[in-house]
Amino acid sequence: MKKRTDAELVEQAKRGDREAFGELVRRYQGAAYAVALGVTGHHEDAEDAVQDAFVTALQRLEGCRNPAKFAGWLLAIVRNTARNAVRRETLRAAEPIPAETAATQRGPEAEAELSELRRDLASALAKLPSVQREVVLLYDLEGWKHDEIAERLGVPAGTVRSHLHFARKTLRAELAKWKDR
Amino acid sequence: MDRKDRRPDLSVLDPGRADPGYWGRRRTAVLAAAASELAARREWARSSVTAVLSAWSRRLIPAALATAAAAAALVLWETRVGSDAGADAFAPPLALEDLLIDESGDGYSWAGQGAAASPVAFMAFVEGQGR
Repeated sequence: MKKRTDAELVEQAKRGDREAFGELVRRYQGAAYAVALGVTGHHEDAEDAVQDAFVTALQRLEGCRNPAKFAGWLLAIVRNTARNAVRRETLRAAEPIPAETAATQRGPEAEAELSELRRDLASALAKLPSVQREVVLLYDLEGWKHDEIAERLGVPAGTVRSHLHFARKTLRAELAKWKDR
Repeated sequence: MDRKDRRPDLSVLDPGRADPGYWGRRRTAVLAAAASELAARREWARSSVTAVLSAWSRRLIPAALATAAAAAALVLWETRVGSDAGADAFAPPLALEDLLIDESGDGYSWAGQGAAASPVAFMAFVEGQGR
């Protein structure tokens, strides 16, 4: 079956098509999470921001002037939603990474190490400028290509490469202690 | 790839890495949160279609009825005229020739006035016949 374009899915979602909206969620929830995590730095807040952003996006779907560029429009909503959450200081005191994602098969030592890695990684990401954080998360966590990020963030591809380079450099420096483990 | 620009492993930040069902559950949660908006949109879309059809039919049906009534009246009138084939029905208008022929059918009464008659006299004759 032919894969439906974002524009087609948006038009169907405007008419309340649950399946079409669900497909948009499936396509972009990972990227939305990466962007929200980059802003909030906390898993649970990122999760909430993503959910709120998708509902907001659905409510404002008529405002998406170019449905073919739905992803970029959605990520802007995610960013704003996450920033508002931070601004309102409603962030919960939570572990940066969810407990349920920790595999229970690992031993306590491995678990402790993984938890420490997550904390250090979150801390290193927090030191990046927001645009670098977003680019490195979309590229290295979500697997988007330079061109996709450029189009959806509305910046030139060369700028994306530059942001990625400097973000990685900072992360490597911040996480140097993990290099030899 | 440039070794100095090697990719840091951020996969520990992916909630779905150790929990394959994570993204499916999140999608379900988002759809549940959006359920009322989706339902409202479906209702709006349905009512919009109905409203368009309704507005369309409000204009079209009276126009179609009026056209049908006019067509029926025309057909009835033509039928009646066709069946009433009497001379009165198709009486030709009075022509100049009729004025020139007297009622007895004896020929052109004006012709008998003589070739010397002037146009003024002719018009006076015609007006006299018309009265």
